[in-house]
This record gives sequence, C-alpha cells and structure tokens, in this order.
Amino acid sequence: MAPNTEGFVDLPLEPYEKEYLEPVHRVGFWTCIAISIAMFLPALLLFVLYRTVAPWSAILAGMGLALTYAVPFFLIEPISYYPVYGDAGNYMSMTTGNVSNLRLPCAAVAQAVAEVPEGTRKGAVIACIGIAVSVFVGVVGVFLGSLAGGWVTARFPVWLTNAFKTYLLPAVWGAVFGQFALRGPVYAIPALIIAGVPLLLGWKGYFIIPIAVFGTLLLAYALYKWRGIAPSKG
Amino acid sequence: MDWKAIANAPWIWIAGFVQAAIGVFQAWYFFRLATRLMEKHGGYHRKDVLAIIRGAVITAIGPIMAEIFVMMALIIAISPGYTFQREGVGVGSVFTELVQVSNAAIGAGQEFGQPSFDLTGFAAAMVVVNVSCIGWSLGAAFFTRYLGRTRDKISGGDPRLLAVISVASTLGIFGYYAASEMKKGGGRPAAVIAGAVLSMLLFKLADWLKIPRLKEWALGIAMFGGMYIAHLLKS
Repeated sequence: MAPNTEGFVDLPLEPYEKEYLEPVHRVGFWTCIAISIAMFLPALLLFVLYRTVAPWSAILAGMGLALTYAVPFFLIEPISYYPVYGDAGNYMSMTTGNVSNLRLPCAAVAQAVAEVPEGTRKGAVIACIGIAVSVFVGVVGVFLGSLAGGWVTARFPVWLTNAFKTYLLPAVWGAVFGQFALRGPVYAIPALIIAGVPLLLGWKGYFIIPIAVFGTLLLAYALYKWRGIAPSKG
Repeated sequence: MDWKAIANAPWIWIAGFVQAAIGVFQAWYFFRLATRLMEKHGGYHRKDVLAIIRGAVITAIGPIMAEIFVMMALIIAISPGYTFQREGVGVGSVFTELVQVSNAAIGAGQEFGQPSFDLTGFAAAMVVVNVSCIGWSLGAAFFTRYLGRTRDKISGGDPRLLAVISVASTLGIFGYYAASEMKKGGGRPAAVIAGAVLSMLLFKLADWLKIPRLKEWALGIAMFGGMYIAHLLKS
C-alpha cells in the first residue's frame, strides 16, 4: 500500500499549537467542568422547587450499579477514538455523547470530503468541524424530536419505524467499517475476527472493546514494522 | 404531586437548555477556531468548509433520526422534558439511559416502569443518571491534553505510523460493533454487510468518477441503503 501522506501538506505546527490547540484546551477544560457542574442542576432544582431528595442509600446503591456499567467506558472510549478525532473532537464527544454512532461517522465523512488523512493536524481540525456540525444538528434535532417526535413518527409506516429501530445502527457500523476498510484492507478481516471470537465466547463488551482495538493495533504495528505496510490514501 | 408531571415541568427543560447551551457554545467556539485556522493556514476557502459542513449534516441526519425514534421510549416511559435534558447533549445513549434509570430505581428499592416507581425513585434517577456521566466530561477536562502526547510518544512523530494507529484503532472499534450486530442475527448481518459494501462502493465511485461531492453523501446513503436492504431481505 502507498503511504497516506503522498503529496499531502499538513498544517504548520506553530499556528496549529498557538492559534488552535491552546484555546481548544483552555475552553475545552472549562466547558467540560461547566457541563460536569450542570449535571447536578436537575437534582438541585428538584430539591429547591419540590423539596424532594433521594435517600443517600438509594443514590449510593444506584451509583454503584451505574458506575460498574460506565467506568470502563470512561477510559476506553477516549483512548480508542482520539486517534481519529483529536483534541477538540474529544472534548466535544465526551460532552455530548453518541460518539460511535454519530460523532465519529461525521468526523470520518468530513475528513473524506476534505481528502485529509486522519491522525494528522489537518485531519484533527477537519474532524473538529464535522463533530461541531453534528452537535448543532443534534441539539436542534433532539429538541424538535422531544417536542414533536411522537407526532411525526406516529405517521411513519410501521415497517419504517421498525427498520429504523432494528437496522439503522448495524448499517452505520457497517458503513463506517467499510469506509475504513478501504484505507486498510489488510486489517479489516483480522479486526472482525479479533472482536468476533470473544463475542462468540460471550465476554462482556467492556473487555472486548480494548481487545478489539489493541489487538488490531498490535497486528497493524507488526505489519508496519516487519513489512512496511501502512494505510493507503483511500 | 405525580412524578410524571414534575418530570415535564419547566425546571427540567431549563436544566436541559443550560446543558445544551454549554455544549453548543463549546462546539461553536471550536468550529470557529477550526475554520479560521484552515482558511488562514490550510489553504481552504469558504466553499471547501461548506462542503465539509454539508457532508457532516447529511451524515448526522440518519443517526439523529434513529436517536429520535429510540427517544420515544424515554418520552413515553418518563417525559419529553427529561428526554431533552438527557439527550440534548446527553452523554449516554437511550439504551444506557434506560439501564441507568432502572439501576437508580433498584437503588431506591423500586422497579422502574412499575407502580412502585414514585417521586423518590425519580429523584434518585435524576442524581444517578446525571452524576454517573461526569466521568466522561471530567476525564475529558483533565486528560485530553495527555492523549495527544501519549500518541506522539508511541508514534515517534512518524506520519505513516500515525495513519496505522488511526485506521487500525477505528477498524478495531467498528469491527467490534459490526461483529456484535452480526452475532445478533435477524437481518442485522445484512444491514452491516450492505452498509459496508455500499459505503466502499460509493467512496470508490467518487474517486473513479471524480465526483468529490459524492463523498458527502456516501455514509448517509450507505446507512439508509443498508437499513432498507436489510428490511427487504427480512420481509
């Protein structure tokens, strides 16, 4: 495969760091802190307005269960997704969620349209534009959906509603997988096998995702070091 | 007072708007920085940026519509206001959300969806679902700047190795999601395969026919096409 950087000129380092990364980290840090504080707002308002507070035992027991489910993903998701969407992409994705089904596909399409390789400075900045747009569309869509979604979707034929519920997400995974399989066809089948075997063994998702990511990475690294194989421009 | 009425009162919409405003401000600020940088130092013009925006909008429509469909479950089970507060810039997927509300109810000795679930259960849910998401936002606040350094250290600044890391890790994640859907069966394998084949075909066609605009549509068409093909094969 040809190297992906053939004829590609990346952004100069200095303006990227000074004019982009520095403000991204500054604003990213404070907005993430602000959103973390705002997460307490519903519970606070519930107490102030209705004098309703959940017993500590209920909160602790519920949090224990909730965190068992969530904690592995606190670590896995940013590490796994960062190579594609960069710093601003990480701040936005960890603030607004829906990473694998919405933010990453938008980042990947933005990079494909702009014809920039991911993992570069340009790639990160273009992914940032794609993800920011997905946030704008998402907030508006969810607001309208909360107000009128029931009315609109009730008018959809049953088959379409069912198709959305059952098949859209698998088609999204397939589509993004296909897009990246063009970039690194040698990794595609091994990636499916590395994830597929523990899945068939019935292991939990938070064990399998790191295995799938780091297993594919190790294989790709070995192919690069020993055979000089790297992704093509796609 | 009935917890369902409280769950759709103005206070919860206000909380949702506060969170959404922070998320939108963050995205707007980054968007402005990124477009300015690309125009100033990347040789991009307004029309190039517009093409990227079009591609992202087209790609976002499918997943957001799917989210709205699944959101209906939350609207019915809890309330429209709660749904907007959690999903406007919600960190969790709707499925995660229902799991976490159920976990909170269990913590309060109740069962979500049953008459036993009352205002106390709802109050516990409001704390649990919101606070259990803080790991993501606090993690991003404190550790994002180290993610890049770690990656650069591993790659040693070699751009080909950076591409290896990016492409392999993406295939690793989406390989997991694709394989887990294929394992579930019932038309989902057809959706995964049709989505993958359509997306490969469309991205290749865009290069072969030299129609770069096709790339803006590629993922959008592939996801709807994959969904429709799976429906046709199953019906």
